[in-house]
Amino acid sequence: MPAFYGILSGGGENDSVPPLQGYWRFAWQGRHGANSLMFEQRAVVVNLGLFGALLLASVIYLSLGSVKVAPMAVLQALFGNADMMASFVVQELRLPRLAAAVSTGAAFALAGILMQTLARNRLATPGIIGIDNGATAFAVASIVGVGFSIAPPAMALAGATTAAVLTFGLAAGSGTQGYRFIVAGIGVGAVFGAVTQLMLARVAIDTANAAYPWTVGSLNARPSGALQLLMFGLALGLATAMALARSLTLLRFKDATASGLGVNVRRRRLEVLLLSVALTGLAVAVAGPVGMVGLIGPEIARSLSSSRSVPVLAATLAGALVMVLADLAGRTLLAPIEIPVGIVTAVVGGPWLLWILMRPQRSFT
Amino acid sequence: MTVPRFATTSVRRATPRTLMILLLTALMAVSLVSLLIGAGSVGPGRALALLSGAQDSEARFIVWELRAPRTLIGIAVGMALGVAGALLQAVARNPLAEPGLLGVSAGAAFAVALALVLGASAATLRIPVAQLGALVGCVCVLSVARFRGVGNDPIRLVLAGAAFSGLLASLTSLILLYDQRAADEIRFWVIGSLAGRRLDDLFAVLPSMLIASVVVALIARPLAALALGERVASGLGHHPKLIRWLVVACVALLVGAATAIAGPIAFVGLVVPFVARAFAGPDIRRTLWFCLPIGPLMVLAADIISRVVVAPSELPLGVLTALCGAPVLIAVVRARRLPML
Repeated sequence: MPAFYGILSGGGENDSVPPLQGYWRFAWQGRHGANSLMFEQRAVVVNLGLFGALLLASVIYLSLGSVKVAPMAVLQALFGNADMMASFVVQELRLPRLAAAVSTGAAFALAGILMQTLARNRLATPGIIGIDNGATAFAVASIVGVGFSIAPPAMALAGATTAAVLTFGLAAGSGTQGYRFIVAGIGVGAVFGAVTQLMLARVAIDTANAAYPWTVGSLNARPSGALQLLMFGLALGLATAMALARSLTLLRFKDATASGLGVNVRRRRLEVLLLSVALTGLAVAVAGPVGMVGLIGPEIARSLSSSRSVPVLAATLAGALVMVLADLAGRTLLAPIEIPVGIVTAVVGGPWLLWILMRPQRSFT
Repeated sequence: MTVPRFATTSVRRATPRTLMILLLTALMAVSLVSLLIGAGSVGPGRALALLSGAQDSEARFIVWELRAPRTLIGIAVGMALGVAGALLQAVARNPLAEPGLLGVSAGAAFAVALALVLGASAATLRIPVAQLGALVGCVCVLSVARFRGVGNDPIRLVLAGAAFSGLLASLTSLILLYDQRAADEIRFWVIGSLAGRRLDDLFAVLPSMLIASVVVALIARPLAALALGERVASGLGHHPKLIRWLVVACVALLVGAATAIAGPIAFVGLVVPFVARAFAGPDIRRTLWFCLPIGPLMVLAADIISRVVVAPSELPLGVLTALCGAPVLIAVVRARRLPML
């Protein structure tokens, strides 16, 4: 555990700690003794790179569409000195959608990497084990008004929780590792998918059309209020996840190892699970089930980062990047027809999932 | 199975015959109900009066022109999907191998959508195209199963199949978004339903179903030998490779035909052989016989429910089969030891 070596040995005044390979270490003399802060070089580079890529993709996202705005004009429109048309298109039409894309992508990917770490199974993303579908079914129920109509985000949260309880409950005997857990989750997801169809078939066509985006995943119909709620939840969730990062790194090991290193395993598990389910529910309330992002984002982050720690921030950024690019592709590839972002991510993520499955079995996460 | 442990072979042997008779009776009852019940003004009473000889032109039209073809098609689709499921499970030696889950139906649906976009017309080309798509899907999935290590783990194969069929389904919807004409032509077909199918559709697929049943009858015995292992089958004078290819061809013919009429329907090929094995025991030949009444029973029951729950509109058939199939999937997966086929 190189990360702990540095921290445990601290940094004395004469700084006798040998420099750790691959880390930047900042040591300074505080009031109560020596302090030091270490950053993994690769993580810093990866996060900055992903952030830069996200900014670049965002500018392209704002500039492309049925009305083209030059990248420079986009920047001008953002900061308020451009012609009316450009600033209307950029600020009123595309910026809210970009915000939705970034925050849903980030939330799905964060939820994905949390769930994968929790289950010690890289296939255990909320989208695959049926939590997306549960949230979707409940959100659709609130739109078509089956008896009780609460705002979609609340219902999506309830649905995500129900599906998570079902999947984890069904897996109670066999544990979350391996493929049985995943297939049980697929079964749960299939039931909720069927329930969604059932509800859509029961209502008038207009109501069904209003609920349709939820069933495939699209950024076209964002219920008012859901986005603000998601951004708030995402900020909170990301901060919590970063604070939990060290426990997450340890949760990857056996329970005995983790608790020996000072992690309250059961409590951390519950916290991580709740966080992941809540993020999924909030994100589904905005964009519907785009669960593949929860698989792709963490995969990208893991392939870029070292395996020393769980790349929480990198996965979040990668998820946002994937979502922005996918929605950009969906808006522009077949224009004027718009491909729902859920279909784009499924077409990209499906082969990826197959490739993961067909590789010879290695350790998970 | 409720047969007690100490039951002698004679008791066991008597049970399947009784069960078969019971199943056939149930199938006839369900078919009758399928003729009697439906949306619209012709209720069970009027339909029953018509069947016992009353003169009622509206009821005659609805019962004989709409419901009867639908019932017959339901029977054919149920038989095809049930038998195809049992065959695929036998050849993949995997109780979870199901044409819908493994992407065979999705392959057929994708092929039809692709053909429509490339300019074919729905009426003429659908069946062979669907069968070709099913064949390609089947070969893809089974070659994945032979891929390093995947085949040893039945559940991993199912995951690969689910990923594959999810991919094909989204490609299909991509095509439908791209081409409005194709979307209009197959919108009601791609969700999986028996509504509005005509008898001509059934006649069009009947030849391939007949061919498939002849082939199945011929290979049932070698297939039972194959269940004992490849070496035993070779030792008994069969050709495992040839049998496998024939089975794959049969599955493609059957699933392609069923998908061409009714659209992609998942989980029938999982539930039906599951129940049939519970009745028939491990022998594939007996299982296949039991699939013949159980498949139509499930499809017809689902179809009747799909007409009734949301009357006057209709539910996609796949919704109901998923609602009843997913719990079976979970139950099989949760079982401590997967039954190896």
